[in-house]
Amino acid sequence: MFNKIFGLLTSMSTVFKHLFKKPVTLEYPEKKIIPPENFRGKPYVENCIKCMTCTKVCPTGAITIEENEFNINLNKCIFCGNCAYYCPVKAIKMSRDYELGVSNKEELNLVYDIKRGSDNV
Amino acid sequence: MNEASLLKLNLGPQHPSTHGVLRLILELDGEKILSCKPDVGYLHRGMEKMAEKLSYIQYLPLVDRIDYLAGFFYSELLCRTVENALEIELSERVKIIRTIMLELNRIASHLLWIGAFLMDLGAVSPFFYTFREREIILKYFEKITGQRMMNNYFVFGGVRRDLFDTKDIEEFLSILPSKIKDYEKIIDRNPIFIQRTKNKGILDPETAINGGITGVNLRASGINFDLRKTDYLYKDYDFTPIVLDGKDAYSRYRARVLELSESSKIIKQALEKLKQNTELRQAPVKPIGFKLPEGEYYSQIEAPRGLASCYIKSTREEKPYRLKWRTGSYYSVNLLRKILKGTYLNDAIAIAGSLDIILPEVDK
Repeated sequence: MFNKIFGLLTSMSTVFKHLFKKPVTLEYPEKKIIPPENFRGKPYVENCIKCMTCTKVCPTGAITIEENEFNINLNKCIFCGNCAYYCPVKAIKMSRDYELGVSNKEELNLVYDIKRGSDNV
Repeated sequence: MNEASLLKLNLGPQHPSTHGVLRLILELDGEKILSCKPDVGYLHRGMEKMAEKLSYIQYLPLVDRIDYLAGFFYSELLCRTVENALEIELSERVKIIRTIMLELNRIASHLLWIGAFLMDLGAVSPFFYTFREREIILKYFEKITGQRMMNNYFVFGGVRRDLFDTKDIEEFLSILPSKIKDYEKIIDRNPIFIQRTKNKGILDPETAINGGITGVNLRASGINFDLRKTDYLYKDYDFTPIVLDGKDAYSRYRARVLELSESSKIIKQALEKLKQNTELRQAPVKPIGFKLPEGEYYSQIEAPRGLASCYIKSTREEKPYRLKWRTGSYYSVNLLRKILKGTYLNDAIAIAGSLDIILPEVDK
């Protein structure tokens, strides 16, 4: 009996010790996490040479390349980074943008100019 | 016994303590479980069929999702099978980096299990403590690989980028022993925890072997079977597999806690080796149009939830003809039929939780 009470008390003492420590969480919308350099967020494209490697290594077929347009469908993208890794000229870069919430699904269809790379031509 | 007095009860599919979506059809007499029928398949994503439609490089990012808590192990398995087929020799540094990542992943997976298991039993605070430590590992993964869970870090013939800044791990390894002591203080001597797990869910070695149980569950039943001892990645490391002979839920918990420090021992040795092998030589395969030679290939690894293996049948095409995964949890779920028979309903959660079942791994 005494043993059991002692066991419970040692458990409780550890819990109480933690009660007075600083929180380890971050209040998200007010304070934002800065992801590390290699983070795989929203992809950006610049100076594409149209070798079509990325369309062949993409597991979900999110990338389509037309004459002057480079399309990435973020509805399909799983942010695996295959396209950026296998691109021979490193035209595709995974950025640190992670807040990708939109109110219209069409906005997730990223359209880049092949050369200039500007968003939504 | 009166037929009418039996009660059929659905435990799950959406139950807070089923990790993923598992439905157990229980037949109860009062509170006693007469039979248990696991109903799996709610998380089936067609992982094996998908492989037949995609090239090997396209398929590699997806295998992390087979077991989202130990994705590195499945990446390693696919890489290893393909490397075996192509006869690619890995450089020393790549091997060390892979060992470090695998063992960190094992620690993260076990930490999550400890928290979730205690949550199943009704203790909430250990969940936050283990998640706090797991967070350090996931932050490190994010720094190196770019994402916290779907890492996609291993590539055929190497790793995506060199391991850098190992200070975080060293720091983590230095605080881990004190944290493990903390867990032991909260959990091990807690009379409620002991009452709910000691002598509950007894798993005989014979039943375990017949049921295909591997990994920690088997080792907690007193059988020394650790694939890492024969694995070529772990060849030069000094560690002892944890073998306990309690056979119950409590010793399965103990085995996982002890394995934390065993894994950290391996990582410490690997970090020492990493300093000596500074040259990263990769043997990357070309991204488009590479084919495996005709034949059947098989490789296996000790994953946190038991033996995992990958089988590829290739007909000299860019895609595998057939790809098959063996995952540890699948056999643990099937074991519930036997292990839950004759126990009481209030022990069912503790027993099922102690087997460390992850449903995406079962359904694939």
